[in-house]
Amino acid sequence: MMKRDMKVTVTSGQLLPVMLCLLFPLCAAGETTIVDVPAGVDISDWVCQYCVFERGFSGDVEAGIGSVSDDSFKFGEYNGLYDDGPFLIGNATARYRDGNAGHLDLRVRELGLDTRSVEIEGGRQGKYQLFLQYDGKPHYISDSAMTSYLGSGSDTLQLPPEWVTAGSTGGMTALAASLRDIDLKAERKRTGVGIAFIPASKWRTAVNFRHEVRNGQKKTAGSFFFNSAQLVEPVDYVTDEVEASVTYTTRKWQAKLAYFGSFFRNQNESLTWQNAYNPIVGGADTGQRALPPDNQFHQILLSSGYQWSERTRVSGDIAIGRMEQDEALLAATINPTLGVALPRTSANAQVDTLTGNLKVDSTVSNKLRLNVSYRYNDRDNRTPSEVLDWVTTDAFVALPRRNLPYSFTDNTMSLGAAYRLDKATRLRGGYEYAKKERTNQEVDETQESTFWAKVGVHVREDIDMSLKAAHAERDASGYHLVTETDPSQNPLLRKYNLADRSRDTVSFHAGLSPNERMSIGLGFDFSNDDYSDSALGLSESQEVGFNGDASVILSDVTSLHAFGGRQRIKSEQAGSQTFSTPDWLAKNDDTIDSFGIGVQHQLMQHKLVVGADYVLSRSTGRIRVETGAPGADFPVLKADLDTLKLYADYRLKDKLTLHVAYWYESYDSKDWMLDGVDPDTVSGVLGLGEDTPRYDVHAVMISTRYRF
Amino acid sequence: MASSLRHLVFAYRHGCRSACGTTILPAPDSMYRQRCGLLSKLPIRKRARGLSLSMPLLLWCLLTVAVANAGQALQPAEQVGKGSEVSNTTPASVSAVEYSKKGADTCMKCHNEDAEYPVLDIFKTKHAVKADSRTPFAGLQCEACHGPGVSGALFMEQALRAGSHVGKVRRGEKRPPIINFGPKSDEPAAVQNGMCLQCHKGGSHIPWQGSVHETAEVTCASCHTIHTAHDPVLDNMTQPNVCFKCHLKERADFSKPSHHPVSSGQLGCSDCHASHGAGTSTLLIRPTLNETCYTCHAEKRGPFLWEHAPVAEECTLCHVPHGSIHPALLTKRPPLLCQQCHSQLGHPSVALTTQGLPSATPSALLLAGSCTNCHSQVHGSNHPSGVKLMR
Repeated sequence: MMKRDMKVTVTSGQLLPVMLCLLFPLCAAGETTIVDVPAGVDISDWVCQYCVFERGFSGDVEAGIGSVSDDSFKFGEYNGLYDDGPFLIGNATARYRDGNAGHLDLRVRELGLDTRSVEIEGGRQGKYQLFLQYDGKPHYISDSAMTSYLGSGSDTLQLPPEWVTAGSTGGMTALAASLRDIDLKAERKRTGVGIAFIPASKWRTAVNFRHEVRNGQKKTAGSFFFNSAQLVEPVDYVTDEVEASVTYTTRKWQAKLAYFGSFFRNQNESLTWQNAYNPIVGGADTGQRALPPDNQFHQILLSSGYQWSERTRVSGDIAIGRMEQDEALLAATINPTLGVALPRTSANAQVDTLTGNLKVDSTVSNKLRLNVSYRYNDRDNRTPSEVLDWVTTDAFVALPRRNLPYSFTDNTMSLGAAYRLDKATRLRGGYEYAKKERTNQEVDETQESTFWAKVGVHVREDIDMSLKAAHAERDASGYHLVTETDPSQNPLLRKYNLADRSRDTVSFHAGLSPNERMSIGLGFDFSNDDYSDSALGLSESQEVGFNGDASVILSDVTSLHAFGGRQRIKSEQAGSQTFSTPDWLAKNDDTIDSFGIGVQHQLMQHKLVVGADYVLSRSTGRIRVETGAPGADFPVLKADLDTLKLYADYRLKDKLTLHVAYWYESYDSKDWMLDGVDPDTVSGVLGLGEDTPRYDVHAVMISTRYRF
Repeated sequence: MASSLRHLVFAYRHGCRSACGTTILPAPDSMYRQRCGLLSKLPIRKRARGLSLSMPLLLWCLLTVAVANAGQALQPAEQVGKGSEVSNTTPASVSAVEYSKKGADTCMKCHNEDAEYPVLDIFKTKHAVKADSRTPFAGLQCEACHGPGVSGALFMEQALRAGSHVGKVRRGEKRPPIINFGPKSDEPAAVQNGMCLQCHKGGSHIPWQGSVHETAEVTCASCHTIHTAHDPVLDNMTQPNVCFKCHLKERADFSKPSHHPVSSGQLGCSDCHASHGAGTSTLLIRPTLNETCYTCHAEKRGPFLWEHAPVAEECTLCHVPHGSIHPALLTKRPPLLCQQCHSQLGHPSVALTTQGLPSATPSALLLAGSCTNCHSQVHGSNHPSGVKLMR
């Protein structure tokens, strides 16, 4: 429960004092519930003399050093180990209990890496709780990108003074000498603070704030008609979130009322870059792209449950929200030779959201259980729709276009029944009807009906199996072209989220414990989507997966765990180069195999624990584009991952443990989109020349942990 | 009806005293505890032979049973796996005599540091803070969750079979169980969960009943470990392994080339999913899928002047959140991803074949970023000239 409430975000300074003013009068009466003991039960004798209640300080500290053999952004993508060389290991937990509901908890993780996190939580349980949190989440994207642009990472990109423009990348004579490495990465740093009060029996109030700063640079691109360049865009975002809630809980009725606010700010408005090519028209020598604008979201949520009777429960929630974005619009072009007036100075974009769920669940009899639920979701886009004059790629004034604000309304109704056939077997079934309405799109309404059935067999822990099958049919109300789309779409195209579709799914899961020492899990999932009315576009897609895992206790000191699986994702789509009937076909076929095995063994009367874990993953992607000409198959996309971890924990003394670990990871990939694609390989794309990642990294770690 | 007959049979064979611990009428306290205390010390066989029936006691029992039946008709019965009915009442309605003499001290005579299954770490958890009156150890202690130690009407099935969990057991005989939790439990999911739901019914648990996990009869103890200082499911580092016990496919997903940082411990499953129930079909923390994604990717929220329709509708029309072999968690890579919806005459509908690879005529529509080499604003653009998502 607290983990969910720990989602912390920071708000603007105005909200905090208001919140606290509301809460302080409530928290002045810090009374909690009296003990809920049945009438007639006398627990005065229950002194709990053998109970070892926690009191005082306890915790553990781990300190050590590790070393990584090679630098690789792919290896350290999320774990912070992107750099070769040594790193500090620092972890700690500390607890204080005063024996009277007062508590303080501290947890520090990965102090020596960018992934470090600190959590402090304290208070008086049953009355109030505060916490503070810091968390670093780096994302290392690519370390093989190269660019000639100076100022990469800022909002203005310029070419070096010696740059020679050309009609294509082949003619850019200053390119080779001016290329510089540029790292693509983004680091998130989150700080959070939260307060929770129990002002009176059955009540709970909480306010959480989270402040996230995200810094880095990522890949993007800009073009002047057909001359494009891959660029580096600055990431300098701040996202603040606040959630304030009041909860009321009794046996019969529970409710939670909350306000959620999210505020996004981008320190940069635009990215301006110098045209590396010969300008296609006069004045088209710099371009300007918009960066994500500041936006905010406010939402009020109410969720409630009511125990109508012991058999029947009603629960529901409603959320009313508004997304707003009103940044000043950039100029339609920065080409000084072109002048275009804008009908308004800011986007004035606004979307109102309304989501509601209602569910009734009832145990009608010993054997039969029924439920019915209804879901409503509305996205009402109130952004003004106007005809705007615009300029294509800072080069040509284009035909005016109307902006289309997309709105959606979903209505979903579900019915379900569960029938206990006998003590071990349960049959379940249901029906769902979903209607989705859209504005400004090719289809105004889709309706989908789903029937599903499931049989489950559960016999204590020995056998637990279930088999589920479902069939769904979706109908689109009628496909019409969107007149604003210019040039227009091929009338035979059916966008797959708007098209008629027939969907079948089957899944089987089993959990087996043949004996006390072994447990096995098996799973099979199959899903097939058939878009038989789509002459163009996605026509079929299928997913099949097998998975299994096993845990075995080999002896009192040895245990083993293994898992494996295969997943295959296939799809087929059709296109028409002649803007008529289908004349080409594309097939995608992805296969992912994974396998892992781990063993742990205790030696020396449990003083020494050694273990090994090996995991492999093999992904292949096959793409085939059939036009009747030879050479339909693309080179196979590949990603092979092998990970081996060996570790040993040796208890030096009662409270002191030595931990030693070795980690080897190897990654090899092939990607025809990047392989052999240098910055000047494509005549019309000045690329970043990224390489497909591959690495062989060894890491060793040694640390001691002291428990106090 | 069947259960009331069994009540009578029990009363006849074992002495009305045991049968009188019904849900409606508690027996006079002192007389009862003395007798039931005595009873609990004797194994059943001895009781059956030794005790005689007296008429007033029998009449009283018949009356009690009749009233209890009427009461039970008002309350739903949850079917136990073994085919009998057990009343789904809470301890509030169970008589005093069903609880042990000394509470936790009784339990810990056996469940101490030498026991086979360690339980003492409960004292390091929030459940064992006496000064917080909401916690089990401020009240019924172990029996707040595990139910009364002495059998009673709530556990009539056990009482008929075997007697009390805290009572004396003959050498070699198996001790009758108390309510226990987890995969080895004898209790149906509804009974196990009912114990936790006595207190944990609010906040994120409001939509629990009727949710996907609940209707699949997943117990609280399937995911939560209570007798431990550090519940693995409440920590991002260890949480995914708990979920992967059932969600086998997702373990492989996070090893794919493009993935969310779950296996490195940066994100837990509960950073996106509300496992206790939610209105969305995939149990998400926020009311809609897109809002869930915006909790980390707020720059994509907009709204933008020029929107890309599938982005406004649902992120999963193009992305698969757990893992993908294609970059940026895409279901498919461009240009084919985009060509599923874009068919205009000209470059959008051209079949891009191996002729566009570096070995032949390198194509801007195929290599590096493919469509995004020019159309980089795939999530929407706020630029006045962002019509084609190029500015």
